Amino acid sequence: MIGLTSERIAEELQAFQAKLAQGAHTLSGLGEIEVGVSPREAVYQEDKLTLYRYRPRTEKPHPVPLLIVYALVNRPYMMDLQEDRSMIRGLLDAGLDVYLIDWGYPDAADRELGLTDYIHRYIDHCVDVLRERCGQDAINLLGVCQGGTLSLCFSSLYPEKIRNLVTMVTPVDFHTPDNLLTHLIRHVDVDLLVNTLGNLPGQLLNFTFLSLSPFRLAGQKYVDLTDIFDDAQALRNFLRMEKWIFDSPDQAGEAFRQFAKDFFQQNKLIKGEVNIGDRRVNLGNIVMPVLNVYAAQDHLVPPAASKALAECCGSRDYSEYSFQGGHIGIYVSSRAQREVPLAVAAWLLAR
Amino acid sequence: MFDVELLIKQSRAYLAFGEQIRRFTEQFPSDPQPTDWDTALRQHFDRFKAMVAQSSEDSNLNPDLAQLWTLTLESWQQAASSLGISAIASRAGPSADAWQVYQQILGEYFELLRQSAMTALDLMEKRLRDRAVAGEAAGSLRELFNLWVDCNEETYGRMLRGAEYSELSGRLLNALLGCRASGETTP
Repeated sequence: MIGLTSERIAEELQAFQAKLAQGAHTLSGLGEIEVGVSPREAVYQEDKLTLYRYRPRTEKPHPVPLLIVYALVNRPYMMDLQEDRSMIRGLLDAGLDVYLIDWGYPDAADRELGLTDYIHRYIDHCVDVLRERCGQDAINLLGVCQGGTLSLCFSSLYPEKIRNLVTMVTPVDFHTPDNLLTHLIRHVDVDLLVNTLGNLPGQLLNFTFLSLSPFRLAGQKYVDLTDIFDDAQALRNFLRMEKWIFDSPDQAGEAFRQFAKDFFQQNKLIKGEVNIGDRRVNLGNIVMPVLNVYAAQDHLVPPAASKALAECCGSRDYSEYSFQGGHIGIYVSSRAQREVPLAVAAWLLAR
Repeated sequence: MFDVELLIKQSRAYLAFGEQIRRFTEQFPSDPQPTDWDTALRQHFDRFKAMVAQSSEDSNLNPDLAQLWTLTLESWQQAASSLGISAIASRAGPSADAWQVYQQILGEYFELLRQSAMTALDLMEKRLRDRAVAGEAAGSLRELFNLWVDCNEETYGRMLRGAEYSELSGRLLNALLGCRASGETTP
């Protein structure tokens, strides 16, 4: 039996409506929702890119800087969402000198930007700025998600500039059977898309991500929200995540074209067939120490897609770290705060 | 910033869901015979499915209930709007063909989502029946709603991973771009 009476359900519905009314009041009193909490300063700018240095939290941070290369998709403040959910803060607390590339928001003027610009120009310039600024021949690089794939390309093309490479939830083999994003883009005419629209609108990406689990992500989530309407702190946490989810920059057209076709549709990275400009990316050139961090329950970048790196990179010092969580949880869950920055820092500091 | 509209829409959908369940429970005395319940459950879910089918034909019939299963479609329409393709002129000429192609594929997409929603209701009915056999009862409306979400995610997930969805969603986007490329849009 369902075990519920009509009266009981009516009461529950009434209570739900009362909570909604209360929620409207609470929401209106919350004010601006802030994200990106750790103090930082801009140390380099080029076009829409800004390179930030986070204020160290130890007296003498490690002399080799750590550069975080975030994905072009979504905004990098996910790494520093709030004080108690900040991977960046965890890395700073562990004694690292942390820098991050903020790609900004590409607009129509950026439609011709290709992966060549992002890798040979933007990342390379940022790496050189840090090498000079810190007096180091090579720096540490941490690439996140798509930023990890770009970091792999960069490390393959400029191995002498990278001392240690950390990849986090990074796709390498785009054709594992469980790769939903590849499944969804397989029949898309990418040339028509870019030729027609120029840049890829962020809202189209939002649709793609929400369409992976719409009943939870666009339905149940908002019903569950009523449960925390009386908790302003929990509500703020929710709103920070919500802000991040819908804060999707457009993707520069040419960069998207190459990434969608060469990586997703044709899986060229693992085949050694990707060209960035006139140079071929050979993952065998990645001979520096590599730490490959993946999330065991990742629905966007399946573990197998990341772990494929083991078979094709040239490093003799290759390690993996499996986080028990998902693609988002690896940044913001309580467990991630306790485990991931410490694991990354310990690995880096030992090298 | 937070889109309060999303909260309101889904809350209304939840209330519509609750009303459906309330009507079902209203039919029974406090301790119905198992066979009565079994028959009534079947009849109720048949009606539920009929309403889903009707809401696909007439979105004004029960928009809040329709909201429960048209999330993906609505999200798609919003994405299409962001491309400037919300108001497409149905004028004559070659570009009208592109619009017709898009509408046809959109219909196929809609049908695939509707089938998934129907299958989810079948699954939910089965789960409730299994629970009844095991002597388990739902403790709250929310628990039933969560079961409904689980069933939809399960059937939708199967559909999403299928070759048909991959091919159809690709064709849908390509057709939409075809409309834009042929200039069949109004500002």
